[in-house]
Amino acid sequence: MPTHGEIQLEELTKRFADVAAVDGIDLHMPPGEFFTMLGPSGCGKTTTLRMIAGFQRPTSGKILLDEVDVAQVPPHKRNVNTVFQNYALFPHLDVAGNVGFGLKYLRCTKDEQRKRVAEALDLVQLCDFARRKPAQLSGGQQQRVALARALVLRPRVLLLDEPLGALDARLRKGLQVELKTLQAELGITFVFVTHDQEEALTMSDRVAVMNGGRVEQAGTPREVYEEPSTVFVADFLGVSNLLTGEASADGDGCALRVGERTFRARQGATSERGEVKAMIRPERIAVEEHGTVGENRMPGLVERAVFLGNSFELHVRVVGGDLLKVTMPNDGTGIPVEEGTAVALHLPAEALRVLAPSSPPVEVA
Amino acid sequence: MIAWLRNPWGRPRALAFVTGAYIIWSIVPVGIAILFAFNAGRSRTTWQGFSFRWFTGSTGSVFHDPALQSALKHTLLLAAITVVIAVPLGVTLALGLQRWRGRGSGSVNTMMLLPLVTPEIVMGVALLLLFLKVFPSIGLGTKAQAIGQVTFTLSYVVVIVRGRLVSIGREYEEAAADLGAPPHDQILRVLLPLLAPAIVASAAVVFALSIDDFVVTQYLSGDASTTTVPMLLYATARGAPSPALNAIATIALLITLATLALAFFVYKRFAGGGGDAAVAAIMEV
Amino acid sequence: MSSRWTWRLLALPGVVWLSVFFLAAFYAVLAVAFGNQDSFSAPVPFWNPLDWNVGYALAVLRDIWSGGQYLTVFIRTFVFVAIAMVISLAIGYPVAYFAARHAGKRRGLVLLALILPFWINYLMRMLAWINLLSPDGWGTRVLHTVGIDRVFIWLGLLTSEGGWLDGQPSTVIIALVYGYVPFLILPLYASLDRIDQRQIEAARDLGASPRGAFFRVTLPLSVPGILAGSVLVALPMFGDYYTPDLVSASPKTNLIGNQIDQLTRQGSEKVTGAVLTIILALALLVLMVYYLRSTRSADDLAEA
Repeated sequence: MPTHGEIQLEELTKRFADVAAVDGIDLHMPPGEFFTMLGPSGCGKTTTLRMIAGFQRPTSGKILLDEVDVAQVPPHKRNVNTVFQNYALFPHLDVAGNVGFGLKYLRCTKDEQRKRVAEALDLVQLCDFARRKPAQLSGGQQQRVALARALVLRPRVLLLDEPLGALDARLRKGLQVELKTLQAELGITFVFVTHDQEEALTMSDRVAVMNGGRVEQAGTPREVYEEPSTVFVADFLGVSNLLTGEASADGDGCALRVGERTFRARQGATSERGEVKAMIRPERIAVEEHGTVGENRMPGLVERAVFLGNSFELHVRVVGGDLLKVTMPNDGTGIPVEEGTAVALHLPAEALRVLAPSSPPVEVA
Repeated sequence: MIAWLRNPWGRPRALAFVTGAYIIWSIVPVGIAILFAFNAGRSRTTWQGFSFRWFTGSTGSVFHDPALQSALKHTLLLAAITVVIAVPLGVTLALGLQRWRGRGSGSVNTMMLLPLVTPEIVMGVALLLLFLKVFPSIGLGTKAQAIGQVTFTLSYVVVIVRGRLVSIGREYEEAAADLGAPPHDQILRVLLPLLAPAIVASAAVVFALSIDDFVVTQYLSGDASTTTVPMLLYATARGAPSPALNAIATIALLITLATLALAFFVYKRFAGGGGDAAVAAIMEV
Repeated sequence: MSSRWTWRLLALPGVVWLSVFFLAAFYAVLAVAFGNQDSFSAPVPFWNPLDWNVGYALAVLRDIWSGGQYLTVFIRTFVFVAIAMVISLAIGYPVAYFAARHAGKRRGLVLLALILPFWINYLMRMLAWINLLSPDGWGTRVLHTVGIDRVFIWLGLLTSEGGWLDGQPSTVIIALVYGYVPFLILPLYASLDRIDQRQIEAARDLGASPRGAFFRVTLPLSVPGILAGSVLVALPMFGDYYTPDLVSASPKTNLIGNQIDQLTRQGSEKVTGAVLTIILALALLVLMVYYLRSTRSADDLAEA
């Protein structure tokens, strides 16, 4: 594992006039990892990235780069480089000129500069394009030039500000894989900012979900998806159903009383008591024949059934008035459903997750 | 006729008619004035045949009459001096104002814009009294004229360059800083090359404004040697001169238009914004 | 950070220049207006505001108050400019509207024709009309053939056939319109061009007639352009002295600009000239501030 490229944010805050864009966050970005800050627009992720790059001065707090606080160091003296959202390639310089731009400040000889530019272009497979101007390149090629321009300086940390945002969907997929591979090969810490949850989940070693200038949860992609600790995280990472109920003790899990019914829940904050919220992913709810009874089952009426090709999306109104979203795979095994069909829903105890009551109620942008 | 003018599906012909009439009214008289620059006779009202005598003839022509020659030379000299001073001053002021946020920037910005809206006679009087009473050592004449022209053209440079700065945004500077460039290199290696089209355009606009300026230049003129082409037009238009006056006005006009056309194409070619942006930059004024 | 000083340092030369040659120049006008004059009536400026002498300013104000010559000139200037503005708008609005909305494929050409007068020297454009309107000029002859000169005489706007340049207020006003209307058309064009065509289509879709759509959508949306353009034209018109000089040269058509020009540049009563300059500048300050504020907010919008 690489020994440098570690970032530690401590109590980092940025205020614009009266608004705290970043509100005292603590984050640890381990060396050599692909770290993603995920969140809706205005959540503070880009401001955090810009503070790490040095474009914005923190109002307070520390930015430790390999244990040295760089919060007051101007951007041109920080050994971190950025791939900008719209790449910011210098239009008056050709590809080689762009890639070589920063080498001038590294005190290396002309020969070495040429060599490193060639290596960087080789890395992103653009050797034949050295004399082209940015305007003569496709979006994907521009993105690679931006990458080469930053990587040629061998930064300890590479910052990427929604670098795939400007590209069309198919190109994105390809570049996601490439970026991840490149990061693994180089072993440089990547700090990636995106609002696309799928992108975050597929590429990252670690994800920090941000909202309202705070970090809601940080962890591996599986952790934040499968074990969301707050309502916001549960909602932002895919569709989820929320139930409100009274929790009480029940063996290794807890019993959740929702209206007339009691459910057993084995995931999450099962030691909580009193009013809590519980969530379950639509794909974890099973649809069974009407009349099926048993633990964690309840009858419901299909209000809407949308055919999505590989699955059906159902809106099922259950007794007590709640509307649950259910994803039913189109694998030929499910029961036939259409609008108006009466069904039974099974909410398995191991998929029902109790959320900590402290989770702030948050609106999803 | 009425029905034809009011056809609801066609173009509004009444509007087209007004526009056409306006364009003819605004341009044809000048065309006739240019035509008379080529009159073979002395009259500026009766056509007596085509000739170049008022441009190149041996007597009384632009190229041989000492007064006309001197006015043309002085006009171009002033324009050149003004461009050389106003453009660098304006570019640095635009850069500074665009990025300098905080105390003082607001009032400097207002001070920079004021010359654009101050009636020229007010500025003329103010500068006249300044050079008479505060800088008698400079006095009236070429130096005062150049200073006066720089003072009122400076704002145009700032406005044009700043417009371009706004459209460039901060990203390129940040990218340069990110790649290790210190502030002065962010300006020299990135901003100035990106601003080049706007700088050329503003130089052309300043040149044209200087050639066309009348009030400030007249207020600050000294002896006859500091007479410019517009001053000559003012002084002799009502007298009974020859078509040489039309000839010298035509030459000044051609120089102005050629300069602006050049700037337009430079801007269009290198700023990437297309023709509309170029028109906007040149008309911003 | 050091970069913050970089920007201030860059602005410094321009700031110094404007302070010395713009702000100080205005202070010189104040010092002269509130100063004294020597026995050859050359101005003796008082630089210290505590010493200021308001005698000359009071004399001018007294003249204005009692309806003297300066009041007459101010009123004449205001009337001439007001009439010229109305005519300019009547000509400029349809032209700008056509160029923005209906010029179609010829838009570039129309626009070029509208910008061209902008860059033809003002004095050359006046020279052109002087040639045309001199007693044996082509314009005078055409106007006579069509009979317009007799209509003008009948209306009391012209004293004699062919006497267009003999101190006629109507000629001065038309010359002002001719001189400044291009400066009005361009901002009008810009504001009309900015109106989203779909908003007019929406108005039509909701049942508005073309006339209704114009009065309820286009016209209200172009009001900022009308105001900005009017101010932009009014300011130089109020300071004009060369137009009346060239097309009339009669004291009957003297504007405030002529008065100031005669007192300061040509004459020796520079103190009174400075007082009138200050009065003119103060009167126009409202317009100047309005224009700066309206463009400032447009700038801010563009940056946001």
